[in-house]
Amino acid sequence: MNVPFSRDVLRFSGTHSFLLAASVLEPFSLCIETSDEEYCQGMSPGDLVAVSAPGGGPAEPALMLLELVRTHHLPLIVLPKDHPGSKRIPYVVSAGPEIRTNCSIIRGTHPEQHLICSSDELAGITLFGTPGGIRVDGLSPAISCGVIKNDKY
Amino acid sequence: MDVDLPADRVKAKDYRCRECGERFKGIGKRPMCPSCQSEDVDEI
Repeated sequence: MNVPFSRDVLRFSGTHSFLLAASVLEPFSLCIETSDEEYCQGMSPGDLVAVSAPGGGPAEPALMLLELVRTHHLPLIVLPKDHPGSKRIPYVVSAGPEIRTNCSIIRGTHPEQHLICSSDELAGITLFGTPGGIRVDGLSPAISCGVIKNDKY
Repeated sequence: MDVDLPADRVKAKDYRCRECGERFKGIGKRPMCPSCQSEDVDEI
Protein backbone atom coordinates (compact mmCIF):
# COMPACT_ATOMS: atom_id res chain seq x y z
CA MET A 1 0.00 0.00 0.00
CA ASN A 2 1.27 3.45 -0.88
CA VAL A 3 -0.11 6.43 0.97
CA PRO A 4 0.68 9.80 -0.59
CA PHE A 5 0.50 12.77 1.71
CA SER A 6 2.62 15.50 3.20
CA ARG A 7 1.66 17.21 6.47
CA ASP A 8 -1.00 14.69 7.37
CA VAL A 9 -0.44 11.85 9.79
CA LEU A 10 -1.17 8.22 9.17
CA ARG A 11 -2.89 6.32 11.97
CA PHE A 12 -2.97 2.53 12.35
CA SER A 13 -5.46 1.34 14.94
CA GLY A 14 -6.07 -2.02 16.52
CA THR A 15 -8.49 -2.84 19.30
CA HIS A 16 -6.27 -1.60 22.12
CA SER A 17 -3.28 0.17 20.58
CA PHE A 18 -2.29 2.49 17.78
CA LEU A 19 0.62 3.80 15.78
CA LEU A 20 1.06 7.22 14.17
CA ALA A 21 3.48 7.91 11.33
CA ALA A 22 4.30 10.95 9.26
CA SER A 23 6.82 12.13 6.72
CA VAL A 24 9.63 14.49 7.60
CA LEU A 25 9.18 17.69 5.61
CA GLU A 26 12.53 19.42 6.02
CA PRO A 27 16.07 18.37 6.89
CA PHE A 28 17.08 18.54 10.53
CA SER A 29 19.36 16.89 13.02
CA LEU A 30 17.41 14.82 15.55
CA CYS A 31 19.31 14.71 18.82
CA ILE A 32 18.93 11.75 21.14
CA GLU A 33 20.08 12.60 24.65
CA THR A 34 21.15 9.85 27.02
CA SER A 35 22.46 10.29 30.55
CA ASP A 36 26.04 10.52 29.35
CA GLU A 37 26.01 11.03 25.57
CA GLU A 38 24.36 12.84 22.70
CA TYR A 39 23.67 11.11 19.37
CA CYS A 40 22.56 13.10 16.34
CA GLN A 41 20.59 11.52 13.52
CA GLY A 42 20.36 13.40 10.24
CA MET A 43 16.76 13.47 9.03
CA SER A 44 15.82 14.21 5.41
CA PRO A 45 12.52 14.96 3.68
CA GLY A 46 10.74 11.67 3.11
CA ASP A 47 12.14 10.06 6.25
CA LEU A 48 9.59 9.03 8.84
CA VAL A 49 8.72 9.82 12.42
CA ALA A 50 6.50 7.32 14.20
CA VAL A 51 4.89 7.27 17.63
CA SER A 52 3.64 4.00 19.03
CA ALA A 53 1.15 3.60 21.86
CA PRO A 54 1.41 -0.12 22.68
CA GLY A 55 -1.10 0.25 25.48
CA GLY A 56 -3.43 2.61 23.67
CA GLY A 57 -4.63 5.89 25.16
CA PRO A 58 -5.63 9.22 23.63
CA ALA A 59 -4.24 10.04 20.21
CA GLU A 60 -3.88 13.79 20.78
CA PRO A 61 -0.76 13.61 22.98
CA ALA A 62 0.81 11.16 20.54
CA LEU A 63 0.12 13.60 17.71
CA MET A 64 1.68 16.41 19.74
CA LEU A 65 4.71 14.26 20.45
CA LEU A 66 5.09 13.42 16.77
CA GLU A 67 4.97 17.10 15.82
CA LEU A 68 7.36 18.10 18.60
CA VAL A 69 9.89 15.92 16.82
CA ARG A 70 8.92 16.35 13.16
CA THR A 71 8.04 20.05 13.09
CA HIS A 72 9.77 21.55 16.11
CA HIS A 73 12.82 19.25 16.07
CA LEU A 74 12.91 18.74 19.82
CA PRO A 75 15.45 16.23 21.05
CA LEU A 76 14.44 12.88 22.47
CA ILE A 77 15.32 12.42 26.11
CA VAL A 78 16.22 8.83 26.90
CA LEU A 79 15.69 7.48 30.38
CA PRO A 80 18.02 4.77 31.66
CA LYS A 81 16.56 1.28 31.71
CA ASP A 82 14.35 0.66 34.76
CA HIS A 83 14.07 4.36 35.52
CA PRO A 84 11.09 4.88 37.87
CA GLY A 85 9.50 7.40 35.51
CA SER A 86 9.40 5.00 32.56
CA LYS A 87 6.09 3.47 33.59
CA ARG A 88 4.38 6.86 33.25
CA ILE A 89 5.39 7.31 29.63
CA PRO A 90 2.90 5.58 27.33
CA TYR A 91 4.45 6.51 23.97
CA VAL A 92 7.64 5.52 22.19
CA VAL A 93 9.22 7.27 19.21
CA SER A 94 11.20 6.04 16.24
CA ALA A 95 12.60 7.98 13.29
CA GLY A 96 14.39 7.17 10.07
CA PRO A 97 13.89 6.10 6.46
CA GLU A 98 12.37 2.76 7.50
CA ILE A 99 10.46 1.80 10.64
CA ARG A 100 9.33 -1.67 11.61
CA THR A 101 6.94 -2.51 14.42
CA ASN A 102 7.89 -5.35 16.70
CA CYS A 103 6.14 -6.72 19.75
CA SER A 104 8.84 -9.15 20.83
CA ILE A 105 11.38 -6.52 21.75
CA ILE A 106 11.23 -5.28 25.28
CA ARG A 107 10.71 -1.57 25.53
CA GLY A 108 13.95 -0.15 26.77
CA THR A 109 16.33 -2.75 25.44
CA HIS A 110 16.82 -2.20 21.74
CA PRO A 111 19.28 0.25 20.23
CA GLU A 112 18.22 -0.44 16.64
CA GLN A 113 16.62 2.79 15.47
CA HIS A 114 14.42 1.17 12.80
CA LEU A 115 12.48 -0.92 15.33
CA ILE A 116 9.64 0.48 17.35
CA CYS A 117 7.95 -1.30 20.21
CA SER A 118 4.32 -2.08 19.44
CA SER A 119 1.49 -4.22 20.70
CA ASP A 120 1.17 -7.73 19.29
CA GLU A 121 -1.77 -6.72 17.09
CA LEU A 122 0.30 -4.04 15.35
CA ALA A 123 3.49 -6.07 15.01
CA GLY A 124 4.91 -6.81 11.58
CA ILE A 125 4.16 -3.49 9.90
CA THR A 126 7.01 -1.98 7.93
CA LEU A 127 6.90 1.65 6.88
CA PHE A 128 9.16 3.03 4.18
CA GLY A 129 9.53 6.72 3.53
CA THR A 130 9.16 7.56 -0.16
CA PRO A 131 9.43 10.91 -1.96
CA GLY A 132 5.64 11.07 -2.27
CA GLY A 133 4.51 9.61 1.03
CA ILE A 134 4.74 6.33 2.90
CA ARG A 135 4.80 2.76 1.68
CA VAL A 136 3.22 0.30 4.08
CA ASP A 137 3.97 -3.42 4.09
CA GLY A 138 2.68 -6.20 6.34
CA LEU A 139 -0.60 -4.60 7.28
CA SER A 140 -3.07 -7.08 8.72
CA PRO A 141 -6.72 -6.82 7.58
CA ALA A 142 -7.67 -6.48 11.24
CA ILE A 143 -5.86 -3.16 11.50
CA SER A 144 -7.65 -0.04 10.39
CA CYS A 145 -5.71 2.70 8.71
CA GLY A 146 -6.73 6.32 8.42
CA VAL A 147 -5.35 9.78 7.88
CA ILE A 148 -5.40 12.50 10.51
CA LYS A 149 -5.62 15.90 8.88
CA ASN A 150 -3.16 17.93 10.84
CA ASP A 151 -3.17 21.68 10.52
CA LYS A 152 -3.11 22.44 14.26
CA TYR A 153 0.58 22.00 14.97
CA MET B 1 10.88 7.81 25.97
CA ASP B 2 11.91 4.66 27.75
CA VAL B 3 14.85 3.16 25.96
CA ASP B 4 18.32 2.05 26.84
CA LEU B 5 21.08 2.92 24.42
CA PRO B 6 24.19 0.95 25.35
CA ALA B 7 27.11 2.95 23.96
CA ASP B 8 28.85 -0.17 22.68
CA ARG B 9 25.81 -1.13 20.56
CA VAL B 10 25.01 2.25 19.05
CA LYS B 11 26.63 2.60 15.64
CA ALA B 12 27.72 6.18 16.08
CA LYS B 13 30.62 7.93 14.42
CA ASP B 14 32.40 11.08 15.49
CA TYR B 15 32.04 14.08 13.20
CA ARG B 16 33.18 17.68 13.04
CA CYS B 17 31.15 20.32 11.22
CA ARG B 18 33.12 22.24 8.61
CA GLU B 19 30.77 25.20 8.92
CA CYS B 20 30.75 25.86 12.65
CA GLY B 21 33.32 23.45 14.11
CA GLU B 22 30.80 21.57 16.27
CA ARG B 23 31.86 18.03 17.20
CA PHE B 24 29.15 15.43 17.57
CA LYS B 25 28.34 11.75 17.45
CA GLY B 26 26.26 11.00 14.37
CA ILE B 27 24.07 8.02 13.55
CA GLY B 28 22.39 7.16 10.28
CA LYS B 29 23.44 7.66 6.69
CA ARG B 30 23.19 11.44 6.52
CA PRO B 31 25.03 13.04 9.42
CA MET B 32 23.98 16.62 10.05
CA CYS B 33 25.39 19.17 12.46
CA PRO B 34 23.06 19.60 15.45
CA SER B 35 24.12 23.24 15.86
CA CYS B 36 23.93 24.73 12.38
CA GLN B 37 22.15 21.90 10.50
CA SER B 38 24.94 21.74 7.91
CA GLU B 39 25.63 18.46 6.15
CA ASP B 40 29.16 19.61 5.39
CA VAL B 41 30.79 17.46 8.04
CA ASP B 42 33.93 15.37 8.30
CA GLU B 43 34.25 12.05 10.06
CA ILE B 44 37.03 12.24 12.64
